[in-house]
Amino acid sequence: MREASTRRLRLPRGEGAGAWLCAGSVALSLLALLALLALLTVRGLGHFWPSPVELVVLEDGRQLAGERVREVPLAQGDGVERLYRTGNRDLDGDRWAWVRVSAIDAVSHPADLVVLERRRWGQAIGRLAAFEAASGERIEGEAAWTALESRLDELGALRDARDRLREEVILPLAARRGGEGSAESELTAAHGRLRELQAAMAGGRLILAAADGDSLSVPLEQVLGARRPNAMSTLDRLAAWGEGVWRFLSEGPRAANTAGGVWPAIFGTVLMVMLMSILVTPFGVLAAIYLNEVAHQGRLTRLVRIAVRNLAGVPSIVYGVFGLGVFVYGIGGRLDSWFFESALPSPTFGTGGLLWASLTLALLTLPVVIVATEEGLARIPDQQREGALALGATRLEMLTRVVLPMAAPAMLTGVILAVARAAGEVAPLMLVGVAKLAPQVPVDGDFPFLHLERKFMHLGYHIFDAAFHGGDVQAAMPLVYATALLLVLVILVLNLTAIFLRHHLSTRHGALTRR
Amino acid sequence: MLDSPPPTAVRRRLRQGRDRLATALITAGGIGVIAALLAIGIFLAVEVVPLFWPSGGSSAISPEALWGGGEGAGEAADEASRHRWAPTASLTPGEAPRISLAPLAWGTLEAAAWALAIAVPLALGAAAHSSLFMSRRLRSRLKPTLELMEALPGVVVGFVAGLVLAPWVERHLAEVFACLVLLVPGLLLAGGLRSRLSARWREALPLGWAGLWLVPWLVLVLAASVWLAPWLEALAFDGDLRRFLELHLGLDIAVRNALIVGAAMGFAVMPSIYALAEDALSGVPASLAEGAQALGATRWQTLWKVVLPAASPGIFSAVMIGAGRAVGETMIVLMASGNAALMTLNPLDGLRSLAATIAIELPEAGPGGVHYQLLLLAALALFVFTFLVNTLAELVRTRLRRRYQRLGGGS
Repeated sequence: MREASTRRLRLPRGEGAGAWLCAGSVALSLLALLALLALLTVRGLGHFWPSPVELVVLEDGRQLAGERVREVPLAQGDGVERLYRTGNRDLDGDRWAWVRVSAIDAVSHPADLVVLERRRWGQAIGRLAAFEAASGERIEGEAAWTALESRLDELGALRDARDRLREEVILPLAARRGGEGSAESELTAAHGRLRELQAAMAGGRLILAAADGDSLSVPLEQVLGARRPNAMSTLDRLAAWGEGVWRFLSEGPRAANTAGGVWPAIFGTVLMVMLMSILVTPFGVLAAIYLNEVAHQGRLTRLVRIAVRNLAGVPSIVYGVFGLGVFVYGIGGRLDSWFFESALPSPTFGTGGLLWASLTLALLTLPVVIVATEEGLARIPDQQREGALALGATRLEMLTRVVLPMAAPAMLTGVILAVARAAGEVAPLMLVGVAKLAPQVPVDGDFPFLHLERKFMHLGYHIFDAAFHGGDVQAAMPLVYATALLLVLVILVLNLTAIFLRHHLSTRHGALTRR
Repeated sequence: MLDSPPPTAVRRRLRQGRDRLATALITAGGIGVIAALLAIGIFLAVEVVPLFWPSGGSSAISPEALWGGGEGAGEAADEASRHRWAPTASLTPGEAPRISLAPLAWGTLEAAAWALAIAVPLALGAAAHSSLFMSRRLRSRLKPTLELMEALPGVVVGFVAGLVLAPWVERHLAEVFACLVLLVPGLLLAGGLRSRLSARWREALPLGWAGLWLVPWLVLVLAASVWLAPWLEALAFDGDLRRFLELHLGLDIAVRNALIVGAAMGFAVMPSIYALAEDALSGVPASLAEGAQALGATRWQTLWKVVLPAASPGIFSAVMIGAGRAVGETMIVLMASGNAALMTLNPLDGLRSLAATIAIELPEAGPGGVHYQLLLLAALALFVFTFLVNTLAELVRTRLRRRYQRLGGGS
């Protein structure tokens, strides 16, 4: 009996400090994740909400109009500066203005301030001084705004008609030209209709009075949209927000990635991912079947399995290097010298493109598909296989009629995980075929319809490029947030689907039977 | 009974023939796919060979040039110009090309070290809490959430780190310092305050769910740190942390530096380490932990003295896999590190990693040139490193599994 030790023994109360620090680690990680998602959502979606425009009168009498962006404490520590987005880059030379809060005399929200979206110079903010129709008639005052709105609607409809005419009538006719007399006359008639439409769209301009007194004359064909944010009700703002989100998803980038949308990047990403999954699924499933069903389960197979698993951890840039060296320079160069000699020295397949990018990413995600399919195959109890064989099936029949259907959810999980990974990988694409701004999408109406040698745009690369290689990063930031939010949402949805599938699998078949 | 006629000899031979053909095709396909995967290493090795054993007229590159590099003709170059990576810089005649991979390797290791310094405590703490203290229901929801965290693309994390976090940290150094200093006391305060609450409150805020209800508490603690920061700065650093760092420690502060990269990569790598560490900790046979608790140990003592040592190989392999991922991460380093090839110990300076260099410079390097081969050498180094680290980790885990079976007696 050790009396001394029992006297000194102090039973610990509670769990101790360590347990709380561990709990704190979990909380900190969750907080970081939530903060990141919240930042992306607020800044990304908030960009499309039409914010009110302020008219600021400074102490020295100057006026400026703009949207308030943020406030930053001054470096010297005495006061706060506020950033306004004033637009009017062609008038002021810059679309931002920093204003010391202490120098502000009055701030108001006049309801007649107009925000214009223009084709070439971005936003313009000011009061609508006058609207001149194509006929030369000049309208001023409140009627100018209604006239402007109706004319913009008309222009929108005319633009749609012109685009439809071009795509559905003129281009096919021009492609068919070459010896057909009727096509020639139809083409001339179509061109005539096009000229009529363009004449109907021409003319008209509006005079904008900027806050500092200058006036800006904007031809109507430069105007993409006009709104009066201070006069909008909440319902109007909601509609404008929805329209902004839709335009973001359906238009291409404009004005050096500071305006417009990301449709070509969405299209490029989806196309590449689809091509990649077509390439990776058969080969991944084949390799998994070989490893699990056909190969002799000895030491070599175990080593190969470990090697395949480790390849999932190899950095993606190494796959990019492999793709560049073997696919682009090696195979692409050979293809060029065999089939596209007339186009040399400008490379067709000897440079990055859709095909090489899909192949590289297929190689990158192959281990993911192999591991997931193998997990599914290992879950199938051996009794099923033995039962099929006992009833007289050959091994091929056992595979195709018993094993593969049961492993189908696992294969699907693997493909979904592969797609989720490929959608987010940017590093290998930088080497094998993504473009900052692709002039054409890889799918169009000319034979062979799918152009595998063209470069494409990618959501992830778009984020990198817009954030780092843009001229005015400040102006591009909201769109980068929105693109990042879109990418994260897509990947989260894909991963959630894979997680549900895997959960469904594990409850269906139970523990792994073979390792 | 039979609803189809018995198979004739011809039909049987056809089926068997198809089976054999299919097996041959599957074998060929499987081996082909696996060979294609392994060809990556072979390709890199083959392309790098001409660097050291050139076939044409060019001279071989000595390994000293790759590590020391940049020696002037005949003169002893000073330390600053020795380790320089500038393969495309124009050279005066007689000057050796500056192709030292040392600053890039240093940058890679520095970024990975800071990432692990942040990720490992977080991940191990989270894994310990999750396997031993957390309620089962919360744990089943937490694991997929942290898996989703792993799926976040590096571009997005790098963008937020480089363009949002870095400028904010540079402007608010004192607040960041205050948050770091007050974080641990704040957590301990939570435990202390909770033990003083009434029994009903203590039941409502159990340790098993602490991972969730500590989140709002953490927000409070961080807000309080930000509010207290000016006072703390005046107390400890004579009112200006930045000047203090520059004057007394000689630290130059770059906006995008190693600490930002470490924090961002730590955030990205933490879920992988967490998943593997948690598997290792949960895989320890229950009899060990229960035996310790039956002898009077608290859960924390069990964890520290029994479970952790038993699972240490698994944790080691988890950290190694995390290191492999940290070394290979490209986009985060590319966007948040400033891409300056420096070799300093200052964590507030920029860095440049091997992977980022490859991503930036390879498209412009002409195939077959020395620059191209050097970048391929860097890629080979990355490949070999991560492959070895992952293989080692996998072997350690296999041994751990066998050890658990021996310890637990098959429980």
